[in-house]
This record gives sequence, structure tokens and C-alpha cells, in this order.
Amino acid sequence: MSSPVNPSAPTGIVLNIQRYCSHDGPGIRTTVFLKGCSLRCKWCANPESIAPKPELSYDSKKCTGKEECGVCLKPPFPEGAFFVPDGADDDKVKVNWHLAADCDEKLASLCPTGALEMFGKRMTVDEVLDEVEKDSSFYRNSGGGMTLSGGECLLQPDFSAALLEGAHKRGFNTAIETACNVPWRFVEKVLPHVDTMLHDHKMTIPERHKKWVGVDNKRILENFKKAYETFPDVDFIARTPLIPGINADEEHIRAVLAFIRPHKNVIDYELLPYHRFGLGKYELLGEVYELDDYKTPSDDLVKHLQAIIDEAFGRTPAATTGEATQPA
Amino acid sequence: MIKEIGHASFMRRIAINVGAGYVPGLNAVIKGAALSADQMGWQIVGIRDGFDGLLHPERYPDGGLVTLSPELIENLDPSGGGFLGQSGRVDPFHVRRVNEDEMVEEVDMSDELLAAFRREQLGALISVVGGRGLSILYKLHRKGLHTVCVPRSIENDIAATAVSFGFNSALSFTIEMLDRARQAAQAARKIGVVEVLGGESGWVALQAAIAVCADAVLIPEIPCDLKLVASRLKDKVSLRRPYGLVVVAEGARFLDAAKAQVKPSSLKASLSPLATGDASDHVIQRSGQAAETVANGLQLLLAQETYPLVLGPWVRGGTPTAVDRQLGLGYGAGAVRALKAGKSGTMVAFVPPDMKFVPLADAINKVRTVPADSEFMQIASSLGICLGKEM
Repeated sequence: MSSPVNPSAPTGIVLNIQRYCSHDGPGIRTTVFLKGCSLRCKWCANPESIAPKPELSYDSKKCTGKEECGVCLKPPFPEGAFFVPDGADDDKVKVNWHLAADCDEKLASLCPTGALEMFGKRMTVDEVLDEVEKDSSFYRNSGGGMTLSGGECLLQPDFSAALLEGAHKRGFNTAIETACNVPWRFVEKVLPHVDTMLHDHKMTIPERHKKWVGVDNKRILENFKKAYETFPDVDFIARTPLIPGINADEEHIRAVLAFIRPHKNVIDYELLPYHRFGLGKYELLGEVYELDDYKTPSDDLVKHLQAIIDEAFGRTPAATTGEATQPA
Repeated sequence: MIKEIGHASFMRRIAINVGAGYVPGLNAVIKGAALSADQMGWQIVGIRDGFDGLLHPERYPDGGLVTLSPELIENLDPSGGGFLGQSGRVDPFHVRRVNEDEMVEEVDMSDELLAAFRREQLGALISVVGGRGLSILYKLHRKGLHTVCVPRSIENDIAATAVSFGFNSALSFTIEMLDRARQAAQAARKIGVVEVLGGESGWVALQAAIAVCADAVLIPEIPCDLKLVASRLKDKVSLRRPYGLVVVAEGARFLDAAKAQVKPSSLKASLSPLATGDASDHVIQRSGQAAETVANGLQLLLAQETYPLVLGPWVRGGTPTAVDRQLGLGYGAGAVRALKAGKSGTMVAFVPPDMKFVPLADAINKVRTVPADSEFMQIASSLGICLGKEM
């Protein structure tokens, strides 16, 4: 069953293309991160992927300061968007994110040092696939291919479907990473072109899901169930980002297992121990990290929960926790 | 850019709202503005929860606006707070919502906000906001909103105004707590290191340290030499006075930053972008880190035991002092006076002995820090309080 790809949407907003990934599906893969997300997980490691359009970032380490440069302190940059505070130790520029938010790629390109950059750019299907194709020999030898991630790759359904269909035509295995908080019509458009779907079971209880992620999980679970049943040939791998105090408990793991085990095409359930590598990126975007006080899960806890999963899948316990690729 | 908004008759109905975060004296500002507007014959309404009352009136059973009638204001306790409520995110340019497809998104609702002002026939807005809020109001003003801002900073770090309301209350409570910390240190025969408010400016720390005659005070404006602090403490701490008190602003900086930093734990190391293994300057400075850094650093340099204490959120509550009540009433009345004078796009600034109206463009992007030649620095030096470097 294959849905036609909309030829009027040949481009999409790509955050990053990362090569040599080994945790985003089978074999060695190239992961394409698309911009835009329909959830607001407080532990998000990729804040630069949330907005559905390119956005400004500022790296103070690259700024050479007012005296040597000072380009952003004058028009055409918005008044007050960039400034050098009185009495600062150096003359490096600071950003007023409220006033700088409207800066576009054209303005960012005026920064001679690259301190101002845009997260994300518009690309065509062929541009992306040509980049992906560079590692085709690795895919052949390892059974790998291309993975679409995000953000939420299903938020750009036409672009994603075109990319995946194009990848298949070039002989690549395809996978997507998704939280599936999108209308079913988006899922339906993309999944015919997918070999493996890695999908997040973040929280079981709807109220908790809403508290930590922004919406409850009713539609998400409906999409998962419908996807398992509608696309029997797709390999589904469930995943949980494991966060102590939020979802790193037996109750959640067992609830997910009860949900997925009746479906034979859900071939695995992976745990992603929470890390905080994304925290620095919040500063580049002028955002505040909301989950500052939470800790990474202990090895013992991860092993204990993994053992429950291994038992449910009828295999010998082993340290087989996942480690999803983050965009650089 | 100050917009002259013309004759006062244009301004028969105005609004007031409050930005995120509690500061003692908020009700006094509201009361001051309402009484002053009433004197002018204007009607004034309060917007609930930042801008939410205007943007989402359906969420409020009795509507999102509260008419601040003389009867209501008569009974409004200026010592209270939170009368109009506050919103966690007071930014109409980035309003988070769940759309019809049940997807979370941020949308620009500034046009809807301005339309709501027109629909409710609100001629201008008095907005009680902190540093970030000033930038948002400046942006709204550039889109056409007539507004006068009242600065609100418990740390007194907003430039252009000498004293923000709420600061005196925070300072008073900090002093009370430091007195207790000193008694505790005295009883325990240890050196207490107390972290107080002040991420970017050291007004609370410096003035409180002077008031309690602390042994040392470390503020963001003066990168400190912990060896010097230790040396001064050695001079002061003796068998007859076997304790000490060091006041540290939460944004205190260190001359030898690498050595002074708390050794990163494995958790802290994982905070590093790109997982380099080292904690970097991208790590969010958490409450208590400054006190921990100083206490640990001094521990290595002194015979006496040191221990960190953090005042943190304890200071961000409570009733306003007499000074803050007066300031709040004054700021509220001043904002109405600014509107009457046609000074839209300004911030009310207390420049003793006057209330002045400063263009918002001149008020944003600046932090009011303690100048090197400040009288308070000299007083501290005269009292023998170590400032972390030779003065």
C-alpha cells in the first residue's frame, strides 16, 4: 500500500545530516534531522529542532567583539537586538533574544565570524539524498541506510515521504524516529516507505504525559496501535527516554510491554537513559532548560529495567540499552 | 523613541498588568495607579495573569479583566501581592498552545493582543515588568501599543532607576537571615558562607554585608581572589572569635576560575555541550553553586570549618517594607502621570528626588551594577569588610 508523494512539496527544513550513526536503526546509517516538533518534552536534548523554521543561534566563542567587528550593532540588524553591556570584561556582543528573534538567514550571513548562524535550512529531496548516498557502501555492507529524525519528522509528511521513497529507489534501508503526535493522515502518508519505525513511549499515564510533554498520549497510542495493525511489514522498535522521577519505573516499563507485546511486528523495546547533552544548546538559542534538577538514571536502575524487557522478549539479560544519535 | 499620545481625553480607559514572578509591593503599584487614574477621571482595568486575561478571556469565569473601581481599590491591601495573578510566560510573541490537530506550537499573538486592546477600548497599558519584560513591551510599543513600564527587580539591577520596588523588602529579609546565620556560625564555631540574590549585580550582597558587618562580601562586579579572602579571615578569626561570615552573591566570579570552581561531578560533566567531559560555561549556574564554590575553596585554605548556606527563593516572598509600599504607590502614580503627559514608550524611573520617564530603548540591554567608585564599596572597605581584592 503506497501513498502518492505530493510533488508540490519537494523541499523541507533540514536541521542536520549526520553520518556514521549506529543507534538509529539497523547497520550503519545516515540520520537526517528535520526541524519542527509537536511536543515540548522538558528534557529535550535537541531544542534547536523544535521550531518549524530556521532560527538564529549565537556562539559567543566565535564573536570577535565590537572594536574588531561590531557589524551586528548597526543596521540592518534590528535596533537593540545586539548590544555590548556597559562594564563588561570584554566587548563581545550579547543578544536580546526578544528583539533578535526575527533575524533571518540573510542577516545572519552578514556576521563575518560565524558567531551568528541559522539552525536549519531548506533543502530539496535530491540534495538530501545525494548527501546520504555518499555512504552507500557502508549501508550495503552493514544493512544500514537512512533514518529520518527530528524534531518530529512526520510534521513534514510530504517531504519525509518523498525522501523515504527516494531512498528506497536508491536501494537504501529506511527508518524513522517519531513520537507520532500528528494526525493519522500524516502517518499514513509516510509509513508505506518505512522499513523500521523507532517510536517513543514517553509516559503511560495521560495526565503525566501532558504535564511533561505538553499534551496527553491518547492520540499517540491510537496512532501506534493503528500503525502496528495497518503496516504489518514494518519493524517497530519501541523506545523510552528514561528519566528518574518521571518515567524510570517498573510501572511504566511494564505498561509499555503490555501495550506492545501483543503485536508481533514490535520487535524490540529500547531504553534511552536520560542525558543532558542538549543543555548547552539552550544557551545558544537563548532558551531556559526546564529540567535542570533531574539526574541521569543509575546503571543499576537501567539494568534492572532492561532485565524486565529482556524477560518479556524471552532473551538472556544483557546491557542492550539504546543510545539515539543527537544532531551535532 | 517616545510616542506622544496626545490629549488626555484619549485616555479614558487604561489597563495595568504584571509580569512573571512575585515581588513585594505589587499591590502597592496597582493601588497607586488606580487611585491616580481615578483622580484623573479615568477608568482603569487590571489584566489577569500577564496578558492571558486579554488573550484568553474565556478561561476566566468572571472575564479576564478586573475593573479597578475605587471601592475595590479602597480595600486592596498594599502589603499583599498577586492580586491580578501572574503568568509564567508573558510574551505575546511566543504564546505556547495546543492547536486543533493537538500539536504543541508557539504562535505570535501580538496582533491579536493589539486587537483586543482596541476591542476593549483600552487606550494604554501600564506594565509592571522585569528586565526581559521591558524588551517585550518595547517590541509591543514599536508595534503601536501605548505603554508605560514600571520596573520590577528584587535585585535592583534595572538600569536608569536608582531603586526598584521590592528591593528594600528583599534586602531587609536578607539582613535578618544573615543575622541568624552569624549567630549559627558563632554557636557552631565555623565560617558560614551565605549565598544571596544577585546574578549580575551585587547590590543585595553588598548592602546586606555592610548592614551585618560581614567579614567578606563577594559580588559579580569584582572577580575575587579566594586566597586574599582566606588571608583576611585568618586575621579576623581567632580563639576569642572562632567564627566568620562571608556573603556571596549568586553571580560571584573568581580570579582563578579554574581552581575556584567546584570540581565537576560526573553529572555536571555530562552537562557539557558535545560531551567533551568538562563542565563548560554553558552549564546553567544553579542556586547554591557560588556558596559551595567559596565554602569549598576556603575550606582548603583555612583551619576552620566552612559551610555553605543558600537564601535563594526564601527572599522572593513576603510583605513589602514601608519603603517598598511608598515606592510602589509612587511608581504606580508616576506611570499614570507619564500617560497623562503623553510619554508612551517609557519606563518610570526613580532618580531621587524625582520620578522621571526614561525611553524604553534606553532602559533595555543594561544592567545596573555596583560602580567601582560606589560609596557602598568605600563604606565596606572602611568597615574592614573584604571585597575579594585589595581596594
